Amino acid sequence: MAISAYIVPQATRSAIVMALALAVPCALIGLFGSNPMITTVTNFLIMLIAVSALGLFSGNSGILSFGHCAFMALGAQISATLTIPPALKKTAFPLLADPILQSQFGLVMALLASVLIVGLIAYLIGLAICRLNGSSATIATLGLLIIVESLIVAAQGFTRGNQAVYGIPKLATWPVALAFAIGTIVIARLYRDSRVGLLLRAARENHAAAQSIGIDIPAQRQVAWVASAMLSALAGALLAHFLTVFSAKQFYFDLAFAIIVMQVVGGLSSVAGSVAGAVLVTAAIEMLRRLENGIDFGLFQVPQIFGLTQIGLCLIVLAILYTRREGLMGFAEIDRFLPFLRKREELATEAAAPTQARPTGTLTLEKVSKAYGGLLAVAEVDLELRVGEVLGLIGPNGSGKTTLLGCIAGTHAPSGGRVRIDDIDITGHPAHEVARQGIGRTFQNIRLFAHMTAAENVMAALTQRWPQLGHAELVRRSRHLLDELKIADLAEREAGTLAYGQQRRLEIARALALEPRFLLLDEPAAGMNESETADLLGILGWLVKDRGLGLLVVDHDMQLIMRLCDRIAVLNKGQLIALGSAAEVQASRAVREAYLGRRHAEVIT
Amino acid sequence: MEYFLQQGLNALALGGTYALLGLGLAVVFSVLGLINFAHGELMTLTGYGIFYTLLMGVPYPLALLAGVLIAALAAVLMERIAFRPVRNASPTTMLLTSFAVSTILHILFQNLISARPKAIPVPDAIIGAVSVGSMQIGIIQLLSIAITAVSLLGLTLFLKKSLLGIAMRAAAEDFNVARLMGVNANMVISTAFAISGILAGIAGVLWLFQRGSVDPMMGFLPVLKAFIAVVLGGLGSLTGAVIGGFILGIIEVSLRAYLPDGMLAYRDAISLTLVILVLFFLPQGIVPRRESVR
Repeated sequence: MAISAYIVPQATRSAIVMALALAVPCALIGLFGSNPMITTVTNFLIMLIAVSALGLFSGNSGILSFGHCAFMALGAQISATLTIPPALKKTAFPLLADPILQSQFGLVMALLASVLIVGLIAYLIGLAICRLNGSSATIATLGLLIIVESLIVAAQGFTRGNQAVYGIPKLATWPVALAFAIGTIVIARLYRDSRVGLLLRAARENHAAAQSIGIDIPAQRQVAWVASAMLSALAGALLAHFLTVFSAKQFYFDLAFAIIVMQVVGGLSSVAGSVAGAVLVTAAIEMLRRLENGIDFGLFQVPQIFGLTQIGLCLIVLAILYTRREGLMGFAEIDRFLPFLRKREELATEAAAPTQARPTGTLTLEKVSKAYGGLLAVAEVDLELRVGEVLGLIGPNGSGKTTLLGCIAGTHAPSGGRVRIDDIDITGHPAHEVARQGIGRTFQNIRLFAHMTAAENVMAALTQRWPQLGHAELVRRSRHLLDELKIADLAEREAGTLAYGQQRRLEIARALALEPRFLLLDEPAAGMNESETADLLGILGWLVKDRGLGLLVVDHDMQLIMRLCDRIAVLNKGQLIALGSAAEVQASRAVREAYLGRRHAEVIT
Repeated sequence: MEYFLQQGLNALALGGTYALLGLGLAVVFSVLGLINFAHGELMTLTGYGIFYTLLMGVPYPLALLAGVLIAALAAVLMERIAFRPVRNASPTTMLLTSFAVSTILHILFQNLISARPKAIPVPDAIIGAVSVGSMQIGIIQLLSIAITAVSLLGLTLFLKKSLLGIAMRAAAEDFNVARLMGVNANMVISTAFAISGILAGIAGVLWLFQRGSVDPMMGFLPVLKAFIAVVLGGLGSLTGAVIGGFILGIIEVSLRAYLPDGMLAYRDAISLTLVILVLFFLPQGIVPRRESVR
């Protein structure tokens, strides 16, 4: 696998600029500032590591996590245990094994150990949590936080239980924190634009579409989950070495919430946003802490308010959520505001289009059924689709067309029958595996990765077909595909901002990036006017004649179906009632009955 | 055997409380997609409501009723004030909003009332136990089970028979379609919050019977566990929420009953780990919600 698929030039430039913007002021304060200022900056840098770590997972996957605070707690616990002097350790952790009690590690070894151990733990937990979607996943991370906190409290003897861990060497000085903070934001920024980051963002934007281009979503989440857990452990360990005294409850909901607030204020999916959020929220917390003990305005006094900091954070986050939901930076990086970062990559000289053998094969459905409870949505349908052929699938509303499409694409598991490509059985395979077998699809309601550029939409699919390609080559091939669909000039536009017809083209370009043998199109002409439909007809004809794909087209536009399709299959109430040429189907009595009802069908005959 | 039966009743009582909480969460989630973190504060409000009405000399049963009604009212107000601005936002936005509301309420309770627990007397009549054969069964347990059963039955009847209930079920299936059919969105959402408030209130009463006091954090942990129960049951499914609640109750009571003493401190960790393990095999929960991909 080419390393250049992981390190994208634009992201590298962007990361370097951010690193400098962070390093210069922090170093100035570190060198010339007062002690309280240095303390504040060090604290900020450690929180920045924590936020960037959370952002690496939450920002790219769209799953909010409370669990990263648990990884911080573990990192702090492990690193503290390893670095406390042996004399102190014996009274603090009487149950620990002798080799650990008698040894004392330096910062580097202790950090390395915390990060690796937490990485392993995160991997195991991730196997379950990364399979959950949306709010379920968030709640599971909440469970994780409770589990870890209660384990640390319960394991008194191995830990300090409820009591404070003390005597931790103060090793997290400002240069140490700064170095790790820079490392973390560089990793987070590079990850975002890398191959893996691209795939995870695609999954965040649209689950079903991501699967339809072959993305194994849990596996992609797992990568980010483990990486971000390790960085969180680093943040936790550094926090321990900064505070020198801490207790388990300091790594609970308050901290988890503070970090989430930083991320949300800064921007839902942006490394630059993480930095901005950490700056603003740290500043707010510093101010609120000073007010917490009561304020003397001379004439009147504000009494001590317990929890003022928390209330302040809540109000800040509510203000952001009510007025600017995506946070300050939203989905943008600094690249958007600094054009010099965005200079176009030097593309390899326009080579000929990648040569492509004409696909071969036959997609076969044998007695495919899908039952929902007692309702048979699809009943024992037999169909065959060869490459280079267009098969239309029509039928009244609710006749099972989309369900049948889903049974092929893997979004629905058939309750009976077989789906094969030549001799390869793909019945009931998950959608992403079906996609990798060479079945592309588009959706009835267009499903694009709305906050990603048109080029990124296509590149995400390209990486699934050609895992070994480097970034420059991905860019080049995506341009080529966009060009074939006449939308090359829109490559850098966010997909969600394109016009309807352009979105449809992009969706087809993305599906083609998989080099599929078969393409399933669910109502491609829905909502299109006549000229757009004519346009679409041209594209679909090109797919079949020049590319040699087999198309399965579901649509209600009879003109389109009759003009485009070699054969037409008609479904009614889940059953295949007719299959043949346009003329044959039009002549079929069963079809008329299905569409018009028996009485009207008789009148016409 | 007897021990087993007794523990079985305990599991039903505790599971019932989780089921009521989970159901309240699920009613709101199924309509709005909102995970309401502040659900626990509704429980706590019930506690304070009972505490203050008792202080004013209101008879005990009426105080309980007042407590439940306060929770219902608070739930409706909460939606009006805090959740309406983020109604169609992403689940993450709504979840964070409710987390912020929950935290604000905690801190208000701490500052305006007290950080310390306030005692709520439990009437002598329900403290004892009745003997069935050679078994001693706590009245509180029996009462909890009975109240849970009546509440579940009442809610089922409401959802199946009343027009508003049917509208709510339609909205839970597909809110947009329900609106096209003429279902009034605000009405349905307010009702969902009122129901969730009533359920939180009832659960709060049952919780108070066990603890005998109310403090600012009273509702926090049980509701966190109810979240987990809801995910276990299948997020979005009302039946699932009830099933998940009972399963969590059974797991917790079994651990309490059969775990060796030295391990008791680990019981929350163990029960939650078990649930996450189940989710590994059933990522959609026990009653998965069907979603069509178009």
